[in-house]
Amino acid sequence: VVALPARPTSRRTWRTASRQRLIFGYTLLAPAALYVLLLVGAPFVFSLYLAVSDATVGDPVATFVGLENFRAAWEMDTFWIAFRNSLVFLVVAAIFKSVLGTALAFLLLQDFWGKKVIRGLVVIPFTLPIAISVLSWKWMYDSQFSVINWVLSRAGLIGSFGSPDWPVWLGQPHLALAACIAVNVWRTFPFSAIVLLAGFTSVPLEVLDAARVDGCTFFQRFRHVVVPMIFPILMIGFLFDTVFTLSDLSVVYLLTQGGPGNATKILPVLAYQIGIQAGNLGRGAAIALCLVPLLFPVLILVLRNIKRREW
Amino acid sequence: LNRRRFLEVGVAGVAGTSLVDMLRARQAPAQTRESTLRILQWSHFIPAYDAWFDKFAKEWGDKNRVKVRVDHIPHLELPARMAAEFAAGAGHDIIHNGSSILTRLYYKSLVDISDVYDQIGKKYGGWIPAAGPLVQVEGRTYGIPMFYILLPMLWRKDLFDQAGLKPPDTWELARVAARTLKPKGHPTGIQFSQCADANLNWRSLLFSFGGAEADPSGENILIDSKETREAFRFAKALFDEGMTPEVFSWDDASDNRYLASGVACWIHDAISAYRTTEDTNPPVFQSTHIGVEPAGPGGKRVSVAAANVYMIWKFSRNVQGAKEFLAHFMENDLEGMKQSRGYNMPYLTANYKKPMPIIGTDPKMQILQDFPKIVAFYGYPGPFTTPIQEVVNLFVLPDMFTRVARGQAIDDTLKWGLAEYRRIFAKHKRA
Repeated sequence: VVALPARPTSRRTWRTASRQRLIFGYTLLAPAALYVLLLVGAPFVFSLYLAVSDATVGDPVATFVGLENFRAAWEMDTFWIAFRNSLVFLVVAAIFKSVLGTALAFLLLQDFWGKKVIRGLVVIPFTLPIAISVLSWKWMYDSQFSVINWVLSRAGLIGSFGSPDWPVWLGQPHLALAACIAVNVWRTFPFSAIVLLAGFTSVPLEVLDAARVDGCTFFQRFRHVVVPMIFPILMIGFLFDTVFTLSDLSVVYLLTQGGPGNATKILPVLAYQIGIQAGNLGRGAAIALCLVPLLFPVLILVLRNIKRREW
Repeated sequence: LNRRRFLEVGVAGVAGTSLVDMLRARQAPAQTRESTLRILQWSHFIPAYDAWFDKFAKEWGDKNRVKVRVDHIPHLELPARMAAEFAAGAGHDIIHNGSSILTRLYYKSLVDISDVYDQIGKKYGGWIPAAGPLVQVEGRTYGIPMFYILLPMLWRKDLFDQAGLKPPDTWELARVAARTLKPKGHPTGIQFSQCADANLNWRSLLFSFGGAEADPSGENILIDSKETREAFRFAKALFDEGMTPEVFSWDDASDNRYLASGVACWIHDAISAYRTTEDTNPPVFQSTHIGVEPAGPGGKRVSVAAANVYMIWKFSRNVQGAKEFLAHFMENDLEGMKQSRGYNMPYLTANYKKPMPIIGTDPKMQILQDFPKIVAFYGYPGPFTTPIQEVVNLFVLPDMFTRVARGQAIDDTLKWGLAEYRRIFAKHKRA
């Protein structure tokens, strides 16, 4: 008689090293997954529900209205102005942030006295409470007391207060949009610089030296060595930046509330005014959700590119 | 069972049971119930008023053994906070609405305080006619009008006298003054922008010209009228002749600064501008006078004011305390007016007995005592309905004035504006 080894029980199966590692992995992942589900997934699903209902801020009972809120939003002249402004805001801000962020990142890579202090200082616009920084800008753009105008006037570049060439930063439609974009760029380009700096410092010096020995110029090294190596970081930074810019309600709301005559109205401001201030949660949610089609292609592009470079 | 385990189980059990009990009862334990009153209101434009109010509320609380907590937030944040508290079903007991009065949006979640409203009204000779539509829905009262803010003419008598101009008693005289004084470096300014003052000022002008947004029922749109066209034509001329393009960038405080800097020949604004000038530029203050609301072409005067109202949430745990506090507050209405340096105007008829505090004793401010006859609020001549509320919050009317001032044809502007009004009214009618 040969004694057969006892078959492992299911209880013992769970105790194998690989299983335990798997459980441990999921346990570590659980808080992050829960966080995303509760704080991102649930509000998103809730906003989908609001967008297809006639919910208002003062009535707990809402009925299903299908795509009525979207249809009504698309019929609004102001919606399309806000849509166009959001796109202009996004593209122009992205260009300036890329250029300024890259330049700043390269500057911060250099060795100079007080480098650590300067690195700390450049993130101040990003870390300052937005209400305070925008209030300062509002003063700088003031139609009468603008420090920018007074400096330009003293330098002889524009006339004195009251003259026709005295810029009214928040009062002329194109200038107002440019002024809002400038504040957004000022606030967030240090973030782009920090992301790029993190990427630059991860590029091995040997690789750069090899490229230099091979005769690559600065721009060739940047284009053919640095960018491909830090591409995933660049893409993630780009994605964050797009989300931050498109959903930035504060700058425009605090500077102009969308005026003059809707010249700076962007989708988040319109959604806030209709959804919260006027109480139409359903329509506000529908307008806010119109940001998704703008964000989705960027998200797909970024994630596909990152995935492709993983192999 | 070791000692540590025993403690863990014991503490968790007690905490869990208490929490479950509290959740089941949907209220705090007995020792904290009905002993707290939480009030949410704006940060007043006259900071001394907030200091007085906080002390006033605390003293009432001490006397009645109620712990009163007053939270102040910027006025623009009030609608968002109200929405958040409604969604959470928790927050403050008393909530303040400033300028944007949301009674019709929230009345199902507000306590019917008709008893307090009637009792106070009876005691003080009734409320001014414009008060009721702010807080009443379907015959019930859901708020207590606390005060309103006037936006009169603030004009520079020295500049007018030097140029031989008459006081700006009519809009036409105000325009002539701006046309005359602008070349001398003293233009005027009204916000052609998206801010609260623009909503108020342009409505004062439109209504004084005989125009209206809706009929007295609040159901039918009346914006496309001869009077509106006339008001637009006037505003365009006023801008061209008497203003500079900076008005397109103005916020609620810009005209205050314009007056205080000594540049403006007149502005149409709350007396906070007058007070700011008193503090920052005494010589200009000396020659700044307060005028009656200018009359339109037909002699009509309508002064659209910023209303302020208190409401009580249905979810409040201290409805009785909140009602008692509001009654007590209204008993001291005139003291509040004093503390706000004449900024808070009362809704109670008896409180208009001359001389009124502060404004009755200051010769330049005495004219404000006559404003209750001509004061109006959003929605005039009807109530502040939810469609008008959306029109106000989307700045449709100031945008129409802005389009005209920028050169768009009046017909095109009216076509655009009417479409916006129709879309908003139709949506609310469907709802």
